Amino acid sequence: MNLELTAEEQAFREEARTWLRENLPDGERPPEGQPMREFDLAWQRTLFDGGWAGINWPTEFGGRGLSDIQQMIWYEEFARADPPFTLNNSCTFVGNNHGGPTLIANGDDAQKAEHLPKILRGEVVWCQGFSEPGAGSDLASLSTKAVIDGDELVVTGQKTWTSYAHVADLQELLVRTDPTAPKHKGISWVICDMSLPGIEIREIETMSHVTDFCEVFYDEVRIPLTNVVGEIDNGWRVAMSTLSFERGTAFMADQVELASEVEDLIAEARTRTGPDGRRPAIADDEIARRLATARAEVAALRAMTIAGISRTARTGVPGPEGSMIRLFHGELHQRVYQLALDIIGPEALRLTPVDGEGNWTGRYLQSFAYTIGGGTTDIQRNIVGERVLGLPRQ
Amino acid sequence: MDLLPTDEQAEIVATITTQLERDFALNDLASRDGEAEVIDSALWSRCAELGWFALGVSEEDGGVGYTLAEESLLFEALGAHATPGPFLATVLAARVAASGGDAPLLAAVLSGERRVALAEPEPTTDGHPDVGTVVRGTFRLSDFGGAELALVLDGRHAAVVDLATATLRVEPSLDPLIPLATATFDTAALCSVDDRTISLAATVLVAAELAGIARATAEQSTEYAKVREQFGRPVGSFQALKHRCADMAVRADAAVNLSRLAALAVVAGDVDARFQAEAARVVAGDAAISNSHANVQNHGGIGFTLEHTAHRYVTRAQFRTRTAGTHRGHLGELLAASPST
Repeated sequence: MNLELTAEEQAFREEARTWLRENLPDGERPPEGQPMREFDLAWQRTLFDGGWAGINWPTEFGGRGLSDIQQMIWYEEFARADPPFTLNNSCTFVGNNHGGPTLIANGDDAQKAEHLPKILRGEVVWCQGFSEPGAGSDLASLSTKAVIDGDELVVTGQKTWTSYAHVADLQELLVRTDPTAPKHKGISWVICDMSLPGIEIREIETMSHVTDFCEVFYDEVRIPLTNVVGEIDNGWRVAMSTLSFERGTAFMADQVELASEVEDLIAEARTRTGPDGRRPAIADDEIARRLATARAEVAALRAMTIAGISRTARTGVPGPEGSMIRLFHGELHQRVYQLALDIIGPEALRLTPVDGEGNWTGRYLQSFAYTIGGGTTDIQRNIVGERVLGLPRQ
Repeated sequence: MDLLPTDEQAEIVATITTQLERDFALNDLASRDGEAEVIDSALWSRCAELGWFALGVSEEDGGVGYTLAEESLLFEALGAHATPGPFLATVLAARVAASGGDAPLLAAVLSGERRVALAEPEPTTDGHPDVGTVVRGTFRLSDFGGAELALVLDGRHAAVVDLATATLRVEPSLDPLIPLATATFDTAALCSVDDRTISLAATVLVAAELAGIARATAEQSTEYAKVREQFGRPVGSFQALKHRCADMAVRADAAVNLSRLAALAVVAGDVDARFQAEAARVVAGDAAISNSHANVQNHGGIGFTLEHTAHRYVTRAQFRTRTAGTHRGHLGELLAASPST
């Protein structure tokens, strides 16, 4: 047990702090469409040029091969730099945190050579095609079918909750290649070019008034068999390797950013008029207690994250304990933004965008995603109960 | 940076746990429920011989020479076993004696020869008692059985006084293994410390004890949910129980990891040490209360009985969230503390 940073980690922190001060874009992130895509890709290119892309990707694939601790330090320094946007709220998220790591773990040499550099250099946007209208929490029951025809897969079906599909070039797509096999056995993981004929994309507006959520329809879309990652019918295992990465560091940025949000909220509570209409909000006993509790809980979140990193450093792979952090974070995230609304008084009824400082109501509405996306908190509880605690399955 | 115990620390914990399971089994100690002297002097001396009071005392002062980090692992284990006894008052009194340079007092506390009760002011309308070179006023006294001394703690100051000078009124205690009294002092302290180092250590150690309660109750519920069957299957297969156990495990994980981190921050003298300690105390307090409650619920009828141990975690959690400050007080301290920048 120790909290010390090595000389290398300390130097890394200084380097990150200096670089971020000089290179963070100062403009607002455009909220939608091509301007948003260009902004996100430009930031990815800036990261790449500065040597900050793929911090914990292996060096042989263009990453820096650094530790999870350094990844956390990077997120901490990013949050500390007071950026005009949040790290994970980017159309580069899936490439950096799902598609890329999955290819590193399961892709063949040609797939890696083709795709990994483009992800790091900010030349391509990936999206995820996992959920379907009939396959949410029970992902393995997915039914989008893919039939082998010569050297192609012919895909017909529908995916949903696909963030950024409308601006994406590529998709990590799960399809059913063997409808007769048990449900976990007949799935394949395939790279789908989003410009192929037969693909239709419909934007879905979320309750936070963001339009990057999409559903995607496939009508006999022909994908080359060389785009299958892992083997045909082995896609569930490939998908699980992505989820294991997700449990590791993919959501660490959100968790670190929440700590700085709580500090911003404390600052708000010192200046905003409180519920009695006279004193600052922080002088209100209930608000003060809830702020202190939020402070304590984000401190606990950080301790859990460090403990998770410590465990992974010993075992080599992120364990199911990551679900405990996801669960704790998702619900804490929502409590923080409910508290924000109670602090900002009448401003709570004035809608703001999601991105940008002080945009509490937009972020409050967005916070509902944190207990649903990437596995609902109900599913996380099942995972904790069954895989961490060893309780019997239903 | 690493939050898992080292091999050496894991060995310390294993040794402590073995001893606690042998000498402090709750069902054995139940025969002492409601008595003033819960732990006899032979058992207390054995704890002393094992070095439990001296983990955080330097070797030159006659201690074991570890730090608050190892001490917090001890307190986590004490919490997990709902261990009775004046452990907190003892290790804090040792610190007061060491920092006051009172070698004979330190030696007598570390050897278990002179036992130390815990005295804390309770909020009253008629002014605050004095805690310093002179200790004057009315205090809540706990764990006084067999004690000659009392550690008086008020969050800003700490003092060791002779308990013989006090007037005691013994009262029924919520926790059957923590004897409780109201004590009136008007005496010069044997030794005192006039800064917040003792209260900081107290905050970390109580947080660790509370984290231990949170962890043990999560484990107790999980184990029960695996073996208790209703409707022909283990109750842990039902989501109502499974999800409650998962929530308990999450709260325990938060409390344990943050209390360990806080201990390390204090040892390192980090600028955010107070922040982390207060945060740990808040999170661990919430976790201990919530988990001890859920643990009774998860056990159903047997959980409501005196013969089961679930109630012991409930009353211990209530006691410890009112030891070395209150939950509300610590929330206030946390809001006033500085996070690291």
